[in-house]
Amino acid sequence: MATEVLWWIFAAAIVALSAGVVFSRSVIHAAIFLIGSLGGVGAMYVFLNVEFLALVQFLIYGGAVTVLILLALMLTRMGASGTPEKLNGAQAPFGILVGGGLMAILIGVAVSTNWPKNVSDKPFAISIQTISNRLFLDYGVPFIIASALLLVALVGAIILARQEEGE
Amino acid sequence: MVPLSNYLVLSAIIFSLGAYGVLARRNAVLILMSVELMLNAVSLNFIAFAAYLDPTKVTGAIFAIFVITVAAAEVGLALAIVIRLFRNRATSNVDEAATLKW
Amino acid sequence: MGAHQAWLLAAIPAGMFVLLALFGRYLPRKGDYLGVLAIGTSFVLFFFVLGDFLHVGPQHWPIVETIQWSNIGSFHLRMGTFVDPITIVMLGVVTTVALMVNIFSIGYMKGEPRYYWYFAVLQLFVAAMLFLVMADNLLMVYMSWELVGVCSFLLIGFYWEKRSATEAAKKAFITTRVGDVGLFIGIILLWKATGTFNIQEIIQQAQAGQIGHTYLFVSVMFVFLGCMGKSAQVPFHVWLPDAMEGPTPVSALIHAATMVVAGVYLTARLLPLFEVASGALLVVTIVGLVTAILTGLMALAQTDIKKVLAYSTVGQLGFMFVALGSGRPDIAMFHLMTHAFFKSLLFLGSGSVISATHHNQEMDRLGGLWKKMPITGTTFLAGCLALSGVIPFAGFWSKDEILHATETWSGGWAFILLSFAAILTAFYTTRLFIRTFMGEPKDREVYEHTHESPLVMTLPLIFLGILTCVAGLVIWNGVGRALGFPGGITEFIFLTEPERYHFDWVLAGASIGIAGVGIFGAAWLYWGNSLEKSTKLAEWNPGLYQLLVRKFYFDDFYQAVIDRGVLGFSYIVAWFDRYVVNDTGVDGSAQITGYSGYILKYLQTGRVPNYAMGIALGVVGLAIAGLVVRG
Repeated sequence: MATEVLWWIFAAAIVALSAGVVFSRSVIHAAIFLIGSLGGVGAMYVFLNVEFLALVQFLIYGGAVTVLILLALMLTRMGASGTPEKLNGAQAPFGILVGGGLMAILIGVAVSTNWPKNVSDKPFAISIQTISNRLFLDYGVPFIIASALLLVALVGAIILARQEEGE
Repeated sequence: MVPLSNYLVLSAIIFSLGAYGVLARRNAVLILMSVELMLNAVSLNFIAFAAYLDPTKVTGAIFAIFVITVAAAEVGLALAIVIRLFRNRATSNVDEAATLKW
Repeated sequence: MGAHQAWLLAAIPAGMFVLLALFGRYLPRKGDYLGVLAIGTSFVLFFFVLGDFLHVGPQHWPIVETIQWSNIGSFHLRMGTFVDPITIVMLGVVTTVALMVNIFSIGYMKGEPRYYWYFAVLQLFVAAMLFLVMADNLLMVYMSWELVGVCSFLLIGFYWEKRSATEAAKKAFITTRVGDVGLFIGIILLWKATGTFNIQEIIQQAQAGQIGHTYLFVSVMFVFLGCMGKSAQVPFHVWLPDAMEGPTPVSALIHAATMVVAGVYLTARLLPLFEVASGALLVVTIVGLVTAILTGLMALAQTDIKKVLAYSTVGQLGFMFVALGSGRPDIAMFHLMTHAFFKSLLFLGSGSVISATHHNQEMDRLGGLWKKMPITGTTFLAGCLALSGVIPFAGFWSKDEILHATETWSGGWAFILLSFAAILTAFYTTRLFIRTFMGEPKDREVYEHTHESPLVMTLPLIFLGILTCVAGLVIWNGVGRALGFPGGITEFIFLTEPERYHFDWVLAGASIGIAGVGIFGAAWLYWGNSLEKSTKLAEWNPGLYQLLVRKFYFDDFYQAVIDRGVLGFSYIVAWFDRYVVNDTGVDGSAQITGYSGYILKYLQTGRVPNYAMGIALGVVGLAIAGLVVRG
């Protein structure tokens, strides 16, 4: 019972924070809201009994990605800090159309489908052994490829962002 | 606890918000942040399915791990490009980068 | 060697054609003697075939020899030879006349360019014609039909340096082509109804009533169209007079004795079908009568000796068709045979005249040649008397029988019309003879330089002359039996049962009277080769005379049809091609593509958010569509 109430609180928080990311007028505020939103999703993982992934979420998203985004934001500001730029483009109404449409479709499908009867209200616990077995044994090749991908992304980012001589 | 559909609805809402953000925002970094939101929603969806329907072969969780990995790599690269763009044009407004047109 | 090897008769000339066509140029004397050798061999072999045929007796007739030609799924085709009395007559006629023409050509064509090619095509023609008469199925008939048409085209246009010759060749081919289309349609219709091309099987099925009545009539009429085209019946007659542009021996062989009788032969062969389809025989008779009368009238106004003979040929073919229409294939074949002999004699005779007078064909410049060319003149006279139907020459017997057949068959009107045509025949033939050989020469220059032709040309004339005198006698049963046949020609060839020939004095008298009227009429008009009386006659009614001279305006009519009809239609087609296909279709689709690209390029705004919007809208749209389809 208590977990359920807690779940609803967290869910509401996530929605509010996400809305903040998307609707806020200041980029820094949006970045902060993003951190919060990602953290909320991590909490959801805990509710789902996948603690390992929750930790991964916090580490990578909360740690690395948001820092990266904040850095980029600071590097690409122009003029005096704090001036609110015009942040919403001309496509806003269409965006609402699309977003609303997607939401309606997805929620409609999710709610109206008959999920299998063996779905109890309690999610199974996914142990780290299971995950590691799957990851390293059955999906070993994608795993290696993903690491190679990360390497390439790293090198690529460095090349793209470095300062040429004379710049 | 809560039924599966709750998670699905939640993920749908976040996804839609992210989609709106991608379409409506003009700052490149803000667009990237909206993309991150969408990816997160997707991972949540997968893990919810894995936890409720597939406890033996947690395919959803594995997928979510890879999504997170690739999202991180992609964000890094995309921001590098944005920085490049900013250096060339002194703006990070995507509407200004419109020379490849008719 | 017997009737089963009849195909050899055709294969030998065919082989000689290949030899002459490839190597003729390099042979000594350009291979003319080889041509004579090949046809001579066929001529000799014919007697073997004949002997064998008569030896085995009527119970074994017809003699058939086939090979499996094609076997595809449910389509089986056997090709082969079919030797029956009609075939025997045709084989004899073709080989004899071809041999005479070949020998004659050695003299006539001396010094002409492409000498070897002339003999080569002659061989091919003889081979094709022999295949045609021996064929046992309609496909083979059609193939040979086309092949003889090609040979005719090649030979009419032999002097292709002359514009008129090429025009004539084209005209011949195209006119017969129109008929050939009909023939082909008829063949296919018959095949559809009976499932076979074999002539005997088709006849059996028709006689058993297995083909629908109107269907049979229509398909038989289409086949008859082909016969009309090839045998130059009205309205297809226009090509034959023009075909006289070819060398005269060619006219003798192809356009008098053999190719043009292919139509008569095919009709005789398929006559059981014509009998079953009621009304078909009437059509045949009417066509023959109309042709005989019209061409007889047209011949009255011609001044070129070859043209007179050409119209005469068409008219005589009309006579043969009348005989067929009266249900007497025996008489038609008999007339075919006698006509082949005396008409080729007349043509070769005129060839002799032409060659001797250095290519003067107009009667206006001839006259009194009998003194200078006695052999030619005498044989020519024999031919003329035969054509007019004077006893005891060959033409009398066959023409007499045709008149007899029309009298018994349809009552008065056909007999009267045919008699009128016979009078015309006698008239213009006598006119031809008088103006060419008798009286005062019109052109002294030409007269002085004329002399008798060499032996190589006169020998065939003599041989054919003898045949003209005696060939008619085979109608007598006694004569036939003495030669080894089961009886006279009417007992040899028959449709349902043999008829005994008996001599009818009244009818014979009528025939002689008819011939006499024509001959004396012409003699009175033209005696001494004077044109006074005839010019006065022409001036008496200039309109009628013009009608005859202009050949009833058939050529002008056809030319107008082509000018207005064909060319007019082609203007419409050209308009369609230029404006609909080209401008609208081709240019139009290119312009639409260009224009749509011009409009659609505005989608490329270069702005990423716009593209993202496109993607998003697409996804939403697809999701909705998927949901709607899933229901």
